[in-house]
Amino acid sequence: MSTRAFLRERVPWGYQPGTMPSGASFAYVFGTVLVWLLALEALTGIALATFYSPSSTDAWASVAYIQDRASLGWLVRGLHHHGGSAIVIVAGIHLLQTAVAGAYHKPREVIWWLGVVLLALVLGTAISGYWLRWDQQAYWAAQVEVGIAAGGPVLGDVIRGLAFGGNEAGNLTLTRAYAMHALLLPGVIALITVVHIALARRHGPTLLRRAKAAVPRWPQQTVRDVIAVAIVFVMLLAFTISQDGVELGAPADPTTAYDARPLWPMRWLFELRALAGGAEQLVAMLAPFVVGGFLLALPLLDRGPDRSVKVRKAWLGALAGVFAPISALTVMSFARDANDGALAERRAKAEARATQARKLAATYGVPVTGARDVFQTPPMARARKLFATRCEGCHGADSEDRKGPVIAPGHGDRKWLTSFLHAPSGDEFWGRTKLAKAEAAMKPVELAAPDLADLVEMLYAESGATDVDAVKRERGLAVFEAACTDCHAREEGMPGSSGPGLGGLNSRAYYLSFISNPKSAFHMGTDKSQMPRFDGELTLADRDALAEYLVWLRTATPADLAKLPDP
Amino acid sequence: MADDPDRRKFLKVTSCAIGGGVGLAVGIPALRLVTDPATKTTVTAPSDPFDVGALDRFRVGAEPRKIELIASRVQDGWTTARDVVIGAAWIRRVEPAKVEAFSAVCPHLGCAVGWTDGKFLCPCHDSLFAINGQRETGPSERDLDPLPVQIKDGRLQLTWVRYRVGGATREPA
Repeated sequence: MSTRAFLRERVPWGYQPGTMPSGASFAYVFGTVLVWLLALEALTGIALATFYSPSSTDAWASVAYIQDRASLGWLVRGLHHHGGSAIVIVAGIHLLQTAVAGAYHKPREVIWWLGVVLLALVLGTAISGYWLRWDQQAYWAAQVEVGIAAGGPVLGDVIRGLAFGGNEAGNLTLTRAYAMHALLLPGVIALITVVHIALARRHGPTLLRRAKAAVPRWPQQTVRDVIAVAIVFVMLLAFTISQDGVELGAPADPTTAYDARPLWPMRWLFELRALAGGAEQLVAMLAPFVVGGFLLALPLLDRGPDRSVKVRKAWLGALAGVFAPISALTVMSFARDANDGALAERRAKAEARATQARKLAATYGVPVTGARDVFQTPPMARARKLFATRCEGCHGADSEDRKGPVIAPGHGDRKWLTSFLHAPSGDEFWGRTKLAKAEAAMKPVELAAPDLADLVEMLYAESGATDVDAVKRERGLAVFEAACTDCHAREEGMPGSSGPGLGGLNSRAYYLSFISNPKSAFHMGTDKSQMPRFDGELTLADRDALAEYLVWLRTATPADLAKLPDP
Repeated sequence: MADDPDRRKFLKVTSCAIGGGVGLAVGIPALRLVTDPATKTTVTAPSDPFDVGALDRFRVGAEPRKIELIASRVQDGWTTARDVVIGAAWIRRVEPAKVEAFSAVCPHLGCAVGWTDGKFLCPCHDSLFAINGQRETGPSERDLDPLPVQIKDGRLQLTWVRYRVGGATREPA
């Protein structure tokens, strides 16, 4: 028994391609193109799902991984995104064509209704999919969309609770949006599509106005279908490549303002809302229902049987009356943004931030604490940001109103120590502090060169550096005892009789204690320091991060510093 | 004309060719993306030795102790995390200056090996190993995988290696 015969007996289904009663035509291709686009969404969607992680800490990171690190991820993601847009466009054409042809007339009303429902479901899928990337755009769009949906007179809290999965946007928002986008909505769309097509096949295509002889669907119509599919695909591919896939903004950040815009099929609502003024909530919520209701009611209002455009002028006029404003509002909204210079500036800034975030994610990975912390991943990022905001004013080499010693690469190394000992009141050291003018100010250390080098080695060793010459240090200790102990002490935590304690000088612990309270007896004492104490200003972790940074600076070069991204 | 068999055949072949071409144009990038991680190192940790602690923590003649190996920084796909446990080792001080360490990963199929009644036992398939790592009974085809250890300045340092499970020969995964 041949395999074919074996299967025939056990799976006794035959494919009946059917006939095209008024001939094959490119007018009939749109349904097939839509089915094919849905299949593309399913295929690319499954590929993306093998990477995507629906959690508020990981979502952006996993999308950035797809976009920048996985092979062809940008292309698959781009096809998936723009393929969704293509569905909305082709579905719009399919719907208008059906309406103009009067193809919703008896007995095809149900096919039309299912089509309208499919369009609504497709839009729902697009919106929930838009949230998944959890970048600034997605986060704020979600906030606004849920805000509108929950702003109605009743059930607002329930709607918010269901959409967000609780009181706030977070992990449960994404798991729910993902389940909707990848499981529930595609499942329902697939089911309804099957019924939609089955009914369309059962009733057969609406006859063409210029009917030709009947032909079998396969291959006469099929070849036209695949040609249309190929044309749409080539356009989709070209567009996707021209856009480098689809954008990914900076990670969601509840503290940073963003010019959020809805997905383009919803832009008309955005504009309408702006025009509605005080009634924005009501208008934005009701408008989709008005449009949907009109479309659903159309076959009941325009009952035929005449399909000619002349007879149905009123209804086609009403249809135009719905779609023309939608198109106009969409164009207006985009035009307004295009002419807004301030907006363009804010967008450029947001884009730069996005580029930086993606670069950091690709280099260092995204911290498990959340995508927003990607900006903290470069070495010393936290400390450098703190330094720039809290320390640079008084300690920056380039600062115009510097009040204290310069803190720059090489701080605390042998060269620095030597320069300091030569001129403690030099401009880059205590020169700009009140200490320099005080009577008790430290005098330049006058020692023979070898003694000075030994002393420097001893002081350098206090920092805990590992590259210490033990012999020199030993000699340095003797120099210290002879020359410095009148004012200083070197025991841990012990202040000198009139100068600061030098125990652990320039070590991480020393820096931490100095930053915490420079006015302590061990350091400068209350009367000699203008530097404020930071133990009440900065957390222990922040102060320690700064201390770590100062230690890092000791062996860093200006080039090392320049290599790091801006804090 | 429309029923010309040659033309029908041509249309059929054309339909399949175009349809197949478009299908491949989507399918190939999707497949490339899905298979991308198969050939990549997606989880990375520093390869330098772990400081397991002072040698004094281990007494000569005491039972093996299980030590968790905490990597300072682990990149896992898109995330990066500090202080992540990436494995465990059974460590025993055999002589004052000799320390033995075994990977806690069973060489049979990768379950975690435990210490029970003076033997190493893998609870998944009952592979039993002596205190020196030699296999005694059960399905494992080789002894427990030793891990390189060295004593430096009175501290114990251990290098983590993940070996391929299964088989009689030992090779890094």
